Amino acid sequence: MITKGPADELNHFKNSVAMTVTLISFGMMFSSLFLGYFLVRFNAPAWPPVEIENLPKLLPFLSTVVMGLSSWTFVLLERRTEKKALWSATFGLGVLFLVLQFLLWNSLAASGILASNGNVPSMVYAFTWLHAGHIVLALALVLWLGYLIFFRPTGLTDVKLINVGKFWHFLGVIWFLMYLMLFVL
Amino acid sequence: MAFVEQHIHDAPTSFWSKYVVSYDHKVIAKQFLWYALFWGLVGGLMSILIRWTLAYPGVPVPLIGNMLFPASGGVVPPDTYAMLFTLHGTIMIFFFITPLLIGCFGNYCIPLMIGARDMIFPTLNMLSFWFAMASGLVLFASLCIPLGGAAGGWTSYPTLSTNIGQPGAGQTMWLISLFLFGISSTMGAVNYITTVITLRAPGMGYFKMPLTIWGLWLTAILNAIFVPVLGAGLLLLTFDRVFGTTFFLAGAAATSGRGDPILFQHVFWIFGHPEVYILILPAWGIVSDLLSFFARKPAFGYKMTALSLSAITVLSTVVYGHHMYTTQMSPLLTQSFMTLTMLISIPSAIFFANWLGTIWKGSIQFHSPMLFSLGVVFVFGLGGLTGLYLASTSIDLYLHDTYFVVGHFHYTMAASVLLGGFAGVYFWMPKMFGRMMNETLAKWHFWLTMIGINGIFMGMMIVGYGGMHRRLYNPFIYEFLHKLIPINNFISYSAFFAAAAQILFIYNLFKTVFAKNYPAAGKNPWGVGTLEWEIDSPAPHYNFKDIPVVKCGPHEFGNPNLTTGRDYQYQTEELVKV
Repeated sequence: MITKGPADELNHFKNSVAMTVTLISFGMMFSSLFLGYFLVRFNAPAWPPVEIENLPKLLPFLSTVVMGLSSWTFVLLERRTEKKALWSATFGLGVLFLVLQFLLWNSLAASGILASNGNVPSMVYAFTWLHAGHIVLALALVLWLGYLIFFRPTGLTDVKLINVGKFWHFLGVIWFLMYLMLFVL
Repeated sequence: MAFVEQHIHDAPTSFWSKYVVSYDHKVIAKQFLWYALFWGLVGGLMSILIRWTLAYPGVPVPLIGNMLFPASGGVVPPDTYAMLFTLHGTIMIFFFITPLLIGCFGNYCIPLMIGARDMIFPTLNMLSFWFAMASGLVLFASLCIPLGGAAGGWTSYPTLSTNIGQPGAGQTMWLISLFLFGISSTMGAVNYITTVITLRAPGMGYFKMPLTIWGLWLTAILNAIFVPVLGAGLLLLTFDRVFGTTFFLAGAAATSGRGDPILFQHVFWIFGHPEVYILILPAWGIVSDLLSFFARKPAFGYKMTALSLSAITVLSTVVYGHHMYTTQMSPLLTQSFMTLTMLISIPSAIFFANWLGTIWKGSIQFHSPMLFSLGVVFVFGLGGLTGLYLASTSIDLYLHDTYFVVGHFHYTMAASVLLGGFAGVYFWMPKMFGRMMNETLAKWHFWLTMIGINGIFMGMMIVGYGGMHRRLYNPFIYEFLHKLIPINNFISYSAFFAAAAQILFIYNLFKTVFAKNYPAAGKNPWGVGTLEWEIDSPAPHYNFKDIPVVKCGPHEFGNPNLTTGRDYQYQTEELVKV
């Protein structure tokens, strides 16, 4: 027997499928960058090359902590009913992450490491630029959630929270991988 | 079994909401159609200039030469020649075939053929078109700047595409343009995939979908996965050009550090080989349906065809290395890629045999969509078979970068897809615009086009086998190629002939769409049972007043027990037992 399902069911299902496909697309883009990294790394005569020795350690570490904290606050935002404080924390941490990225780029430039200085600086700059670009996009989505939370609470649905959350956590995972590849391993 | 349905939107009333920023998938499909035709004309004109140069090196182009190239007295200069073949490839692949097959037919057919009222994300759909529009504008603008547009080949390999090989902003604008187009394609892909998964009408299982939808859906999956890979490559190349990074620079080209130009080839072809299937899967799907519709027989081996298309989709992702045999790849890798590439011939042979099985002993109606579909069977057969030669490492080392490759990929990617696109336009025209195109003109168009394109691409394979390399401005400065001048002239005449044949199509199309007092087509002029033929022509803005309930497959033809006076069943009718 064929029956008509509720509109909410379609809404939830379609957004879930679409966000999964979208994340696969974004994932493929970042995977291509990582492929480039591994090709360069495994073909390099020595690793790390000379220019990597001066890469800052503290700022990327702080960025990782901030990213992790923001993911945690986002999880709480999805689960708890009191949303305003948690949204503010998530958004604030997201902005702080971007500030740390700017400081990282400034610190690299100050120590004479420019994008044109070779493979590793090229990767550090390009990867972090692209990631930061996505963070800006994600922050715009978080801002939209904030508008709903503060001014139109009836428009805030679980689907919206969950899907923006998926994108946010995805970017957190990507940052963590970048941090490991570029600054730790 | 539960299903969900979209509500019916109010019909748009203003010109702006109806034709410019429309959310209606049918209007967006038509926008993509005009967009593709415009770019098809531009890219086609470029190919004529290329062929003129090869037929008459150093001779001014008649009529338009002095207007386009005043500094050289109407002769195509060498740097412009490089720009022409670069942009011809780019435009035909990204701005003509993709918008026509995927943008137009994807948008038009998916909701109508699966029984939905629109795409699942209409706004995203509209944005997808406007991103494509922005991309086209950037590319067009690149033609009008100092040093002109990109000239590093449609593959834009570094170092040809770095600041050293290609100074000026043209190449950077090419990169930005394709990146924007990639965003458009990805938006479309997310929409198509989600629409097919979530909005199929009740009863429309995956194996009750028309093969057109299978082709478009699989294409969307490939698009979603592999276009971002190209996006990454484009961004990194942009960074190399604009910010001085050194991803793809090596040797004297890199002021410090050392990048790897071959890395771009990897990224490009990880995307580029699936791209071949991105272009051709919709055409295969359309042809698989049309052969059955006009042979008045069920599609032979329907499930196997759908599964073969799926298998090809999967295999297409792991064969890209066959484009790079000459990059000093390890023999182990070349042999692996060769084997995987050869494997693709198995599912290809299955659905090709199914095509032949479908038309075998059918009551074939030689209407224009069927003629063009049979044309696809012929040219894809030739293109596919010559692909086997190129898959073989030892042969490819000799034929790499020759016109044999150009002939091969034009047979598969250009001729097959172009003929499939024409088949689709002639077939769905009554549903899109409520009018039938003139059949006599359409048949003339088919035969003249077939003669022209076979002259071009068969000739290309012959001169390629004779050792003529692609992308040479004047190959005849080499004595060993002198003997190929006559056949090059023949190829060029064939190109002019094929181009002239398109005037019939353009006249027919414009007359059908814009002529006053043109007779209206009926609901179902071809006598086909898929869902779109059960509604009015042209389709109303909400598509289906009531969501249809699907009860049988899309190719139910020739059942002797039918009592309806028709030789086909609609998909909403209970299947009559044979």
